[in-house]
Amino acid sequence: MTTDAVVTTRGLTKRFGRVTAVDDLDLEVRRGEIYAFLGRNGAGKTTTIRMILGLIRPLAGEVRVFGEPVRSGRPEWLRRVGCLVETATAYPNLTVRENLELHRRLTGAPARAVANVIEQLGLGDAAERRAGQLSLGNKQRLGLARALVHAPDLLVLDEPANGLDPAGIVEIRGLLRSLADDHGTTVFVSSHILVEVAHLADRIGIVHEGRLVEELDRAALVAAARAFSAAQLTEQQRADALLTLELERYFLARTDGSVR
Amino acid sequence: MFTAVLAGEVVKLRRTTAPWVTLGCLMAGPLFLALFMWIIRDPGRAAQFGLLGTKASLSGIEATWASYAAFLTLIVGMGGTLLLAFVAAYVFGREYSEGTAKVMLTLPVPRPEFVIAKLVVAALWWLAIVLVVFAEAVAVAVWLGLPGITTGAIASLLGNLLLVAGISYLLAPVIALVTVWTRGYLAPVGFALGMLLLGNVVGHTGWAPWFPWSIVPILVGSVSTPVDTLPVGSLVVVAATFVAGIAGTMWCLQATDNTQ
Repeated sequence: MTTDAVVTTRGLTKRFGRVTAVDDLDLEVRRGEIYAFLGRNGAGKTTTIRMILGLIRPLAGEVRVFGEPVRSGRPEWLRRVGCLVETATAYPNLTVRENLELHRRLTGAPARAVANVIEQLGLGDAAERRAGQLSLGNKQRLGLARALVHAPDLLVLDEPANGLDPAGIVEIRGLLRSLADDHGTTVFVSSHILVEVAHLADRIGIVHEGRLVEELDRAALVAAARAFSAAQLTEQQRADALLTLELERYFLARTDGSVR
Repeated sequence: MFTAVLAGEVVKLRRTTAPWVTLGCLMAGPLFLALFMWIIRDPGRAAQFGLLGTKASLSGIEATWASYAAFLTLIVGMGGTLLLAFVAAYVFGREYSEGTAKVMLTLPVPRPEFVIAKLVVAALWWLAIVLVVFAEAVAVAVWLGLPGITTGAIASLLGNLLLVAGISYLLAPVIALVTVWTRGYLAPVGFALGMLLLGNVVGHTGWAPWFPWSIVPILVGSVSTPVDTLPVGSLVVVAATFVAGIAGTMWCLQATDNTQ
């Protein structure tokens, strides 16, 4: 374990009946990096995240966050962690602001934090609406806002792009990048979307059937992609890739004016 | 921190209809009693009301304060036990039905504090219902002009209602345990209904003072003549049930997996 490790798992294993969801998983997430946990549906991403957050107990192995073993009985370490697990949920009878205020009080964040995250996540127009009446995208934004309200040192996000439109995905990607680059926030993010991960992560762990099968460094990945692109892609494939990028640019320009 | 947790639990009830529905349910009790008494006071009315009038005549109710107070205590004891089970199931179960348990359990708050705060909210909710129903019952009795109403009799009714409500409440943590264990509303309400029936069956045996769900029935007289004072052993049984229910709920929230 390196000294700047924020999340460490050693031999982490979890079974549900006969199904092994996570199998002898060793991983390390370092301070200030964005670590993407990439895998297909059912690969064990969410189960790993739940064990990191103390929501479920490992069958074997251990999880350390900020160097301390995760114990559900001593939750002080959760003050430094913001999370979004699977679908974003909130108290449907409370407004966006009330949901965030409830979370703020229980995490001990300063009073202005709620207004800040509402602004940051573009929830101004929805702030006084009940959470139960929000669109899927705004529910996801509320979930992210709640994860951020107490300015955590570690963000653990499970499929954060769920329900967001393309502009929203780019926006959240920019926000996470700036949190890591400007504030030193460590981000552990799971996804099954390759493009999403490729744009965002410093390191990528590929998980398959509960095992970590590969760890990739972004710089090495970019270099490999360039070499591959130069050597292997046909003119038609390059044209298709450019077309996709152009479409994304047009979509963002016409629907939002700019990427916030 | 506990004050913030308790305040949060109160805020979670904002704009929910459940407190009003439960209040409305129990408030119907004195109104039905009053209707029966109004019918049986005049034999002509009983004939006029057909089946309802016949039922009122055969119910054994007398149009006196003593009879009114006894039946009201029975309603609060038996109906209230079921209603209180719904209250406890709602306070704990909605975290699972609305998907917010994972949000609650990833807060930097010791999980036993949530259990205590939720039980305090259930107690306050239940106390408010009982006090409103008491006030309603007295107002209705005065309006009916029932013979035997004195200040002392009203105070005695209040004491009896609070005693029955208090003993019913001591069984609520077991409902909370069933709710947290099964993560929903249906099982705890079914459990409460089953225990209520079983309590009435056991109430006719020599084991009544030792079975927690028979103690309210023997106190309110649904299985025999109401007792004036409970045996010490019965008080020990309900107190032990209360402690075991709280300990079990805390353990369940602490030690079992949350895969919601």
